[in-house]
Amino acid sequence: MLTIQNVSKNFGDLKALEDISFDVRDGQILGLIGQNGAGKSTTFHSILNFLSYQGKITWNDQPITESIFDEIGYLPEERSLMPKLTIEQQIIYLARLKNKSAKEIRPQIDMWLQKFAVKGTKKDKIKDLSKGNQQKVQLICTLIHNPKLIILDEPFSGLDPVNSDLLKQAILSAKEQGAAIIFSSHDMANVEEICDKLVMLRNGQIVLHGTVREVRQSFGKTRITVTTDWNQEQLEKLSGVQKVEKLEEKRFLLSLSDETLGKNIFDELTHGQYIEEFNQQPPTLNEIFRLKAGEHNE
Amino acid sequence: MNKLWIVTFETFLRQIKSWSFVMLILGPFLMFGITIGAGYLGANGGQNTNKIAIVGGQPELRKSFIKDDKNDIDKSVTDFKTAKEKMDKNDLAGYLKLDIKNGKLSGHYYGTESLNSGIKARINNYLMQSQQQLNITRAQLTTGQIQALQQQPILKQSIQKKTGTANLAKIISYWITVIMVYMILNTYTSITAQEIASEKGTKIMEIIFSSTTALKYFFGKIFGVLLVILTQILIYLIGGWGGYIFVQSSSLTRSYVLQYQSLINSVLKNFLSINLVYLLLGVVIYTILAAFTGALVAKVEDASKAAQPVIMLNLAAFFITFPFQNNLNSIVVKVLSYVPFFSSYFMPLRIINDNASGLEIGISLMILLISIVLLATYIGKIYQGLMLQTDDSSFWKRFRRGLSYNK
Repeated sequence: MLTIQNVSKNFGDLKALEDISFDVRDGQILGLIGQNGAGKSTTFHSILNFLSYQGKITWNDQPITESIFDEIGYLPEERSLMPKLTIEQQIIYLARLKNKSAKEIRPQIDMWLQKFAVKGTKKDKIKDLSKGNQQKVQLICTLIHNPKLIILDEPFSGLDPVNSDLLKQAILSAKEQGAAIIFSSHDMANVEEICDKLVMLRNGQIVLHGTVREVRQSFGKTRITVTTDWNQEQLEKLSGVQKVEKLEEKRFLLSLSDETLGKNIFDELTHGQYIEEFNQQPPTLNEIFRLKAGEHNE
Repeated sequence: MNKLWIVTFETFLRQIKSWSFVMLILGPFLMFGITIGAGYLGANGGQNTNKIAIVGGQPELRKSFIKDDKNDIDKSVTDFKTAKEKMDKNDLAGYLKLDIKNGKLSGHYYGTESLNSGIKARINNYLMQSQQQLNITRAQLTTGQIQALQQQPILKQSIQKKTGTANLAKIISYWITVIMVYMILNTYTSITAQEIASEKGTKIMEIIFSSTTALKYFFGKIFGVLLVILTQILIYLIGGWGGYIFVQSSSLTRSYVLQYQSLINSVLKNFLSINLVYLLLGVVIYTILAAFTGALVAKVEDASKAAQPVIMLNLAAFFITFPFQNNLNSIVVKVLSYVPFFSSYFMPLRIINDNASGLEIGISLMILLISIVLLATYIGKIYQGLMLQTDDSSFWKRFRRGLSYNK
């Protein structure tokens, strides 16, 4: 289990992290979200001991030192490999730095290339690969030594939907094998889909923390999707409606200031007439993200 | 395998497989080969025009002369007529006719030009020895008389060290050492700074540092570069030794080697001494500094600029030696021979000129070694912060932020 307790980090006058605490258990996926500069990468750098910090970070109750590094698979935000090496040389070199022998890794390379649908052969040089394929090779380097703690900084960035699905499958497969996984993302749909828990950072502080369901529920059921003959102007005049967004012809998304007002709106809309759809839900993660980020921007 | 050695060997193998390293190694050998080849072609443009033939009525005499001197003789020519024909066709420099008449040995040289001093001396020597042998046999002397006649005069040489060959040897040793130190330092500071700056530019360092410590990685890189340097020096030593054996035995160069043997010996002695240790330690300290400057670069495009500060320092040290070449008692020379980055130039200068005692050399080496350890430890400590600092801000902002990683 990865445990982060009261961690703070300053860069001069800048408070990059302020007293953050959370944990990720074995077989659990945690999504770390936040705007650019919120402190996500600094959190990862602290976990990996790249920088000194105040507080405590442990992996299975042990401080993270070089002996723990072999159990970690890390994908940094910036995509980077050694361009002059071949795919095979690159994978083996990085695996050897994780204390795996070339003999152990070499037979697995083809299988991994196939799994991630990398175009080309293991003898191709990194510099000759497309950006997407380089990204996949980097993912293979992160996962091939079967790490117990996987840290992925913006893993979905730059991937098309097909490759995003491949990555999701790989992450879920690692989870099944008991790995603790922590990843950052700006794509809330991915976070919502595969994360067990999430932590949202803003200016180095935790502003949201819990399971995806808990976080969404904490915002109340303030989101109504409705299909009606009413027009947008009429809907906006309803009491408690903050915002109306037209989704399709006759289909609208209403944002409420209070979830209890949903019943009144339902009564008004159905009064003497039939409506096709009325669905009252908590806000999506994307909406929560925008809301929280918006609070800061205001 | 320890991660330090994985990084070391990866760095080493990557460098020695590169074309730039192959060319670096082959360059001097190609130059040497081209020089010798051109000399050989020039010397042999007229095939045997430098060779002479030995003819005459006494086959035994011819045989024994050829046995003593094979390189200057065209052995295929055995008679007077052929020799004359070949000389007329400019295939032979000339021919020597050897004869004995009434117990008197004679040699008559026919040629297009006078004999050169080397072969003339050898012919004279041969004729004198053979005549002496003949005289002894004909005089029927006792063993005691023979021994008395074989007494040779002794010629002893006492050379003033500050003049003649010894002085020339020092000047040549100085230039070879200084230029070699400069070239090697320049080459490897560039290689190191560019290698590290390029790696930083590719942003792979986060992956590396999630596998091993920055200190281990830093030392792995330095050791890798040092292995490359050692490989180069080893190849040069073996190649130089082979070249020396070649020029010693080649007819084209042998006379020059013999003529300048003592000078060559002095130069080799000056170079293959403690000066080599200064060269190696100089490379180590400059390489560490180059790794530091490489780590300060923000973008991969700036990799070529990374080595500039170290190259400038090396250039300064190189040029500062010039005015002091003949002024070794200057306080500047004394002081700089203890200052790291400069001592690799100034102490060898003093050593070549017998201007430094063993104690002074020991102190200077100790200062250099301690500086290397302190510099490597300090840079190793801040290396991770510097390598992970890739934002495109100003140099000082990047440097300060890099340092704050570990605060």
